[in-house]
Amino acid sequence: MESACEILARMAPDFPLQYAGSVFTDTAEFMGISYGDVISVGERNYLVLRDEAERRFGMEDPKFWVKRCRCLETGERRILKLEFFEEFPVRIGMFEAHCYRSPQKESRILDMVRGDGRFMQGETFLDAGGHNVRVLEVVQGRRLDTLIEDLPMDHATYFRQDFPGVLDKYLEACEALRFLHERGEKHGDVRRDHIFVEYQGGGWRWIDFDYAFDFHENPYGLDLFGLGNILVFLTAKGTPTPLDIPAEVVANLSPSDMSIVFGNRLVNLRKLYPYIPVELNRVLLHFSAGSEVFYDSVEELTEDLRACRALL
Amino acid sequence: MNEKRILVAFDGSENALRAVDYVGKVLGAAPGFQVRLLYVERVPERDFFATEAAWKEACEAQAAGVRQALAKAEAALKAAGLPEGSVGSEYLPSCRSPQNQAPACSLGTSIARDVVRVMVEGDYGTVVIGRRGVSKAEEFLFGSVSTKVMHLAKDCAVWVVA
Repeated sequence: MESACEILARMAPDFPLQYAGSVFTDTAEFMGISYGDVISVGERNYLVLRDEAERRFGMEDPKFWVKRCRCLETGERRILKLEFFEEFPVRIGMFEAHCYRSPQKESRILDMVRGDGRFMQGETFLDAGGHNVRVLEVVQGRRLDTLIEDLPMDHATYFRQDFPGVLDKYLEACEALRFLHERGEKHGDVRRDHIFVEYQGGGWRWIDFDYAFDFHENPYGLDLFGLGNILVFLTAKGTPTPLDIPAEVVANLSPSDMSIVFGNRLVNLRKLYPYIPVELNRVLLHFSAGSEVFYDSVEELTEDLRACRALL
Repeated sequence: MNEKRILVAFDGSENALRAVDYVGKVLGAAPGFQVRLLYVERVPERDFFATEAAWKEACEAQAAGVRQALAKAEAALKAAGLPEGSVGSEYLPSCRSPQNQAPACSLGTSIARDVVRVMVEGDYGTVVIGRRGVSKAEEFLFGSVSTKVMHLAKDCAVWVVA
């Protein structure tokens, strides 16, 4: 078998060979795979550039099982997600849910959404050790949350000018999740930083489908909860809390105005932005502590939202 | 609806056992009632297991445990005074179960809907269900079978044992 040095000399002559590592055909020991190594899978060679990391709360959280790579045959950037089974509790407000990181779930969804521009794209291969390796295309775009937060305008201008278009895109993103639900799949980790907005065309793509949960009576509840959080974020152009809204507004708030799960997040946004239509605010209130009625399905949510869209 | 036919939603939990106990106390000495325990199978999530074999093993272990619990609950109802022949149980398998060969199975989207469907199809006049007592936020996130049964059920009585 060719060494990494030989492969790189042949296929990546620009690569500084003093950093050439090893060739991995079995990715079980992913912690030991790093910059300069080559992963050979699916008849392709991928030069490892770095571990992927998620930036949350200002901290870099490295994901050692996710490698940023360059495909040596095509020169294209790829993300390789290696097989990592992990079981862990996830905190949702004051609750804890049992979560499992499932490579096969993500593979299944990748197969299901092949060619669908609303989702990240990729293929699954088994390495020489029989381990799942997902080869993902890099979404050329920007995280939805930072894009919205950085829009250089005040809320009133945003709501009037940009929000109608944002809501249209959001509805498309909801439909994408409905597509999964109708096929018995959940996204599992619906967050505003799990949507990327493409530089070209502005399409929204969902990423990261490997979280699995086991909720019997409300199997899609967590996805709906995530959609609610995103809707509130998009409507507010941020996440208003009593700490960053005017005192006179705070004085008029009650616990029922806040998120049903995160007691410090304002959901009754009309109290802060009175120009938000009542009908839209009513949709938001389904996710508030004061609500007695919850959405059971994406369809119910989008039906109400479409009626609101006409009012904007 | 037949008021003498009672359906008890059973999942083997403490709440379900409380419901069984309650039914025994209320109906044990009353003549003419038919009581059926219904278990709607929820197989462990396949994605929680690295291999098919581990998942099947967990499914089998769970099914065996539930069948035992159903038998015990039936025995408890008879011990409470319900006559032999008036107590039965039904194990509604999940369509996703590796062991399922039954023509009728649960799609796995809502236990409450399955309970109500069996209730209607079986002409039950009363459905009995234990309630664990969840907050509104928990109900929003994780769902509540008893709340949903109360919302869905029509032309019958719903006994919620909390």
